[in-house]
Amino acid sequence: MKPIKQDRNSSLIKITLWIMAFFTSIPFLWLMKDAGRMIFSPIIYYDNGIFFVWLKNTSIFVGSALLISVLTCVTAGFVMAVLDVPFRRFLLFSTLVTMLIPITAMAMPLYVLIDRIHLNNTLLGLILASSYFPFGAFLSYLYYSSVLPQELVGMGRIDGLTDFGIYRHLGIPLSKSLISIVTFFSFVGLWNSYQLPRVLLIDPSRSVMSIGIEVFYGQGTTLIGIMMLIPSVLLYLASQKTIARGIFSGAMKG
Amino acid sequence: MRNYLKLTHKRSAQIVPSLMILPYVCFMFFCGIIPIGYGILEVRNPSWVNMDGGPETFIKVLQDFRVGPALINVFFLILIFVPLMAVTVLSISLLLDAIDLRGNALLRLLFLIPALIPTGVAVLFWVSVVGPEVVWDHSNIRWFIGSIAFSTGIGSWIVIQYGSLRSIPPEVLEAGIIDGCNRFQLAIRLKLPMISKYVAYMVILLIVSALQIFNEPNLLMFTNMTTDWSLSQIAFSYAFKAADFAGSSALSIMMLIPNIILALLFVFFTDFIKKSKNS
Repeated sequence: MKPIKQDRNSSLIKITLWIMAFFTSIPFLWLMKDAGRMIFSPIIYYDNGIFFVWLKNTSIFVGSALLISVLTCVTAGFVMAVLDVPFRRFLLFSTLVTMLIPITAMAMPLYVLIDRIHLNNTLLGLILASSYFPFGAFLSYLYYSSVLPQELVGMGRIDGLTDFGIYRHLGIPLSKSLISIVTFFSFVGLWNSYQLPRVLLIDPSRSVMSIGIEVFYGQGTTLIGIMMLIPSVLLYLASQKTIARGIFSGAMKG
Repeated sequence: MRNYLKLTHKRSAQIVPSLMILPYVCFMFFCGIIPIGYGILEVRNPSWVNMDGGPETFIKVLQDFRVGPALINVFFLILIFVPLMAVTVLSISLLLDAIDLRGNALLRLLFLIPALIPTGVAVLFWVSVVGPEVVWDHSNIRWFIGSIAFSTGIGSWIVIQYGSLRSIPPEVLEAGIIDGCNRFQLAIRLKLPMISKYVAYMVILLIVSALQIFNEPNLLMFTNMTTDWSLSQIAFSYAFKAADFAGSSALSIMMLIPNIILALLFVFFTDFIKKSKNS
């Protein structure tokens, strides 16, 4: 009797989830309903093709900040989990605390600082202000704590590996799934970021797409919405296996 | 002498790890510690609200007539939408985790998609769905902004909480099944307590995001009802409309205080640091 009851429960759960999924994906369905009659011209010709400037700026901003944030936080997570670094507990403590302070909360203090160092209204200022990603460092710390036990590191040292050698020969080869998940979360945050670009990039010619979207309200919204959705969905598909395996693996042992 | 040599050796052995973590630490200071410190220093300068400058600016910005209504707005979001979002995220994540992996990849994607839609597009979607007459009705605006935050906010949390549920070692769940737990009991008695720190993390960030809400009301400014609707918008308007950096810094720093208290409580009441000591 029990398996039949379990099957019935599974079906009930699946039906409930599909109904909920339908309701949550209404914005997406709304976006897709006009996909067949998307009009490119209002976007392409708006303000002498400023859309392409925004696209270029977005690519530079997201590409640079993503590269910096993934590189720095994966390395930091590795160092905090595996190597002997001074103030390790303070660094971990600061990472946990700052992980709970959204970058939007820092927007105005960051604006004041960036204005004083004359980087206001520049992509460099926005990139620098957006490259700190403590959640990624925390995920990396948990990941390396579980996949790289101290015994393995010890064996590496016996084989003559230096600290950087351990990172290069053990840390990096093991980091494929970690990088995919950190890249996904960092990318979505940067790609859709609104408040920081809104505060730091006042000049429209230096703006990015998440801000520029405001001027296309109406005919261009569907196209911009779909364009902005595709990269995030593709990245999610690339990283979903890691998510299904558990993104905090190692933090729940014993 | 031996101790001194040992210490010197230890210090030289720490040089490479220190250099490896240095860029991350630089960004931590640049994006976290320095702006807060600089913001506090900025409050000393004369400002539009306090011509003399100094700590009184903190009190003067609180006396701004816009702060009271903005506080009511963000507390409304914290009291109504934060619990609603937390319960929805946990229910969906537990249901996703309770069924076979086959077929739930598409479900997870469907739940995530609203979070990937930029807020600008989401706002327009909601305006189209409810109709302009609803948006222009002043009494609806809090519910409207809350609904947008709900719609765009739950997706990525479902992914994170589902990821945390998948991190529970299978042997723990098997032990629960052997002890006679059904799926509901497994969820309530085993899974939820094991992911409690990630739930706490989510609740804190949801509260903080509601406190700092900016995007949704700012994108609805064309209705003329959401100018200075939230505290972040007031801080923004101090800097950009009144060129009052001291007032803007004072308000932003005061908004950070509950944030930092919650973050410290989280760190002290979870075992992440203890775990790091043991590892």
